[in-house]
Amino acid sequence: MGIPILSITLASLAVGAAASFVAGSRARWVALATALVFVAETAAMFLGAWGPALAPGQVPVGDAETYRWISLPWLQVNYALGVDGISLVLILLTAFLGLATIVYSWNESHRPGPWFGLILLTLLGSVGVFSALDVLLFFLFWEAVLVPMFFIIGYWGGPRRRYAALKFFIYTHVASVVMLVGLLVLVFYSGSTSLDYSALVARAPALPIVTQSVVFLALLFGFGVKFPVVPFHTWLPDAHVEAPTGGSVLLAGLLLKLGGYGLIRWGILLVPGGFLHLDPIVYVLAFLSIAWGSVVALAQRDMKRLVAYSSINHMGIVLLAIAVHSSLGLLAAVLLMFAHGVVSGLLFMVSGSVHHTFGTRDLASLGGITPGTPFLATMIMIGSLASLGLPALVSFPAEFGALLATYVAVSYWVLIPLLILVVTAAFYLWMMQRLLFGPPRGLPAEGAHDLPFFERAGMAVLVVPIVLFGILPGLLVTVIANSPIRGYP
Amino acid sequence: MVDFVALLSTFLPEVVIAAAALLVFLLDVLGVRRTEVTAGVSAAASLLALLFVVADLGIAPFSAVATLPSGLLDSSPASASTSLYAFTSLGLVFQMIFLSATFLVSLASASRPSAEPGAPTFFGLLLLASVGMLFVAVAADLIFLLLAIEITSVSTYLLVAYRRRDRRTIEAAMKFYIIGALSTVLSFFGASLLFGAFGTTNLYAIALAPATPSAALVLVGYAFLLAGLAFKVTVVPFHAWAVDVYDGAPDDVSAFLAGGTKKIGLFAFFLVFLGPVLLARWATSFSPFGLGPFNAHPVFQLVLGALAVLTMTFGNLLALWQKEIKRMLAYSSISQAGYMLIGIAIGTSPAIAGATLQIFAHVLMKTGAFLVVGAVAALGIGPLVDDWRGLGQERPYLGVAFALMLLGLAGIPLTVGFVSKFVLFSAAIQAEGYFVWLAVAGVLNSAASVFYYARVLKAMFFERSDRPAAPSNAGRLGANGLGYGRAAAIAIIAVVVVLLGIYPGPLLSVMQSAAQHFVLLGP
Repeated sequence: MGIPILSITLASLAVGAAASFVAGSRARWVALATALVFVAETAAMFLGAWGPALAPGQVPVGDAETYRWISLPWLQVNYALGVDGISLVLILLTAFLGLATIVYSWNESHRPGPWFGLILLTLLGSVGVFSALDVLLFFLFWEAVLVPMFFIIGYWGGPRRRYAALKFFIYTHVASVVMLVGLLVLVFYSGSTSLDYSALVARAPALPIVTQSVVFLALLFGFGVKFPVVPFHTWLPDAHVEAPTGGSVLLAGLLLKLGGYGLIRWGILLVPGGFLHLDPIVYVLAFLSIAWGSVVALAQRDMKRLVAYSSINHMGIVLLAIAVHSSLGLLAAVLLMFAHGVVSGLLFMVSGSVHHTFGTRDLASLGGITPGTPFLATMIMIGSLASLGLPALVSFPAEFGALLATYVAVSYWVLIPLLILVVTAAFYLWMMQRLLFGPPRGLPAEGAHDLPFFERAGMAVLVVPIVLFGILPGLLVTVIANSPIRGYP
Repeated sequence: MVDFVALLSTFLPEVVIAAAALLVFLLDVLGVRRTEVTAGVSAAASLLALLFVVADLGIAPFSAVATLPSGLLDSSPASASTSLYAFTSLGLVFQMIFLSATFLVSLASASRPSAEPGAPTFFGLLLLASVGMLFVAVAADLIFLLLAIEITSVSTYLLVAYRRRDRRTIEAAMKFYIIGALSTVLSFFGASLLFGAFGTTNLYAIALAPATPSAALVLVGYAFLLAGLAFKVTVVPFHAWAVDVYDGAPDDVSAFLAGGTKKIGLFAFFLVFLGPVLLARWATSFSPFGLGPFNAHPVFQLVLGALAVLTMTFGNLLALWQKEIKRMLAYSSISQAGYMLIGIAIGTSPAIAGATLQIFAHVLMKTGAFLVVGAVAALGIGPLVDDWRGLGQERPYLGVAFALMLLGLAGIPLTVGFVSKFVLFSAAIQAEGYFVWLAVAGVLNSAASVFYYARVLKAMFFERSDRPAAPSNAGRLGANGLGYGRAAAIAIIAVVVVLLGIYPGPLLSVMQSAAQHFVLLGP
């Protein structure tokens, strides 16, 4: 068992969060230190988890820890943690985004203590979700992400922040309790008394198809709202537009990934029968999300809204790659989650910076900003190009893999997402053309110049993985493959 | 010849509380009217009685005990079937719950002004009501049970009305009294029908009755009992009185009513209905109204399950529309009763354990919530949600405490309210069949309830107060104007709510084994 690195990570984030809350104006230093420690711990996790490959039905083994928490004759709950390649890559994403967000919001002057504390709590919850191996523990971390984000939006957000925060909370809370019921049905109908993942993954796939299908529907709803899948997506634009920049970065970069991770780990791996039975529904939802996100994004004038809708589009591709149900598809899905995490993080940062610098995010009233703010313009360029899937940036291998897997599975249907991707490329190109080139429009706010150092540094933290893993996606792929994905066809 | 010494030692907790009640009245007569003294007597007595009960349970506090000593039930079902009372471990767990409510309310009321007319009477009545509650928990006979409920009821009618000059409380007391009398009549009528059918009013004897002589009589009798007890538990459609009474009663009394005395009705539900719910042996020998063989077992479950869903949905829907905090809490209390009924409808030991924890959680959170309401009212802040704007920033201590209570009531994780609902709904799913839908209904209800709790939190933490200035403290009261007693009670509750939310294991184990005993031994 060795060193309980996962518990240490969670504990260090918790201590950091608590310290930030009381540190007042020095909270940013506490938060930075905590984030750096978290990065180091993530590296340690990679070293510790380099284990054997896993087949479907197997449990993540890296850094595993188990302690008994509640013990009744009919119900055993464990504090059980463990990671595999999928979790590790997403924890890595958490580390990048956490560090970037903290650095980016270095100058937060409105109640800095709670601000940094809540960000660290969000990270804590996410790491917990990515590593929990017990139904109750998973649910606790899942909900634990909600609460800090509720306050981040509600306190630091835009004019309609209270409405957005409440909507976000209600939507995701309803979804999560439905998910919990689904998982509990799995536990008890498979004749188990333990909420442990290993017990679940050993028994649940053997349940009758009807049970599996009903449970899968509940789980699809539960995780789909977080994704967000199109009929359940309406909380997202509100939450994103009203959230402060740091909140948006975590929301898009991290919270949406919880949905994808949940669907893979706690959905299709537990009820493969139900999933295959209802796969057409998943395809339809994926196509819907891809199309809807893209078309609506095209009609947006607010830069942040545009990025938010493009998130729906990208997460739709993730769902499509999951729906394909192949080794390649799942690999691409996880890779794309990582890619979208860093890219959308960067894009939300630049739209935040555009807002700070020019006092507006309205694309129609901005233009030709490159001469005045070259660094910002470069970042917009990198973010947009990465988002539209330019080769040598991190999204390309992921999207390529997803589309390839779709083609292998459903042949010419791949044309739907492919054509929509052209639209996606179009709206990013259109945005760049409006914003970066042409005659200057929109005046910088009084005394504003190119970005302050911390905003630059925050963006730089995210550019590193965008470029690094764009050129060397193999690094991530090797890690991701060290998971149950490997057992798929 | 009755051995009085033995009898007294058997009923040690009850004796302690009754003696304290008499002492309080005596002190009043002797002219000792300082609230601190009477409150101290009341709190100390309930704490002492609580210790006796815990000792009876044979558990050292905070140690994880998987099973209770099996000799705990003094009387086997056979001997209990001729007795008026029987000590079951579940009954003791409930005594624990009741006494904690009494203790908390006594502590919190220590800061009420001594000059208030009838202040000592308040504590005397509180203790008398507690005596009744303790007897409910050990009842083995229907008449004993109903009389014990009556002791509590009569005391609480007076408690609601003890502020004699206040028209609002008098109106509430009148409503409470009339409805209470009606429910008593219904219950006793039901009991008399059951006596006609079985020739006994002993619950154990009824449960053990080989065949039911007159099925129609039994069904009608249980229907009347159900109606009578449903008033006490505020089951929809027998709930209408509760909101007016909780709203009109003084805040500490509301806390005691919603948090404490309402729960005796639930334990009475356990006693009265687990017989028919658990005993499938009635299934075959049952032919009401000459309609041929009829399986009463699922019918009881269905009726209770339907009432549970109706109660929680209705309570939640109405809570959504409330503008006054106290009325919102009252409706939320109704909906919470619905969750507890789920456990009774299912009747398995996990479900009973879950319902018991839910009852305990509700005692803590609802008592705490009403105490905060009382504290806020004492600061001169109005009763509407809008009046509470910005309170979380002005009074972080009260704000955070109230937030914890509401989060617990909403079933948000890391509070005991979440754990209890989690166990209860897990038990429903574990029971399979259509009980899963009870769990789904419960879960959706609890998710919907977040909405109205969150509205209050939003007002308290996100919105600015439009009050001219922070209201002045009452001055003579310590702990920031709240009074030390009330502040302490609220703090204790808040800590326990979180503590049990994080580490519920030992308590849950005790409740589980108590529930197992209960199910094994019959009603």
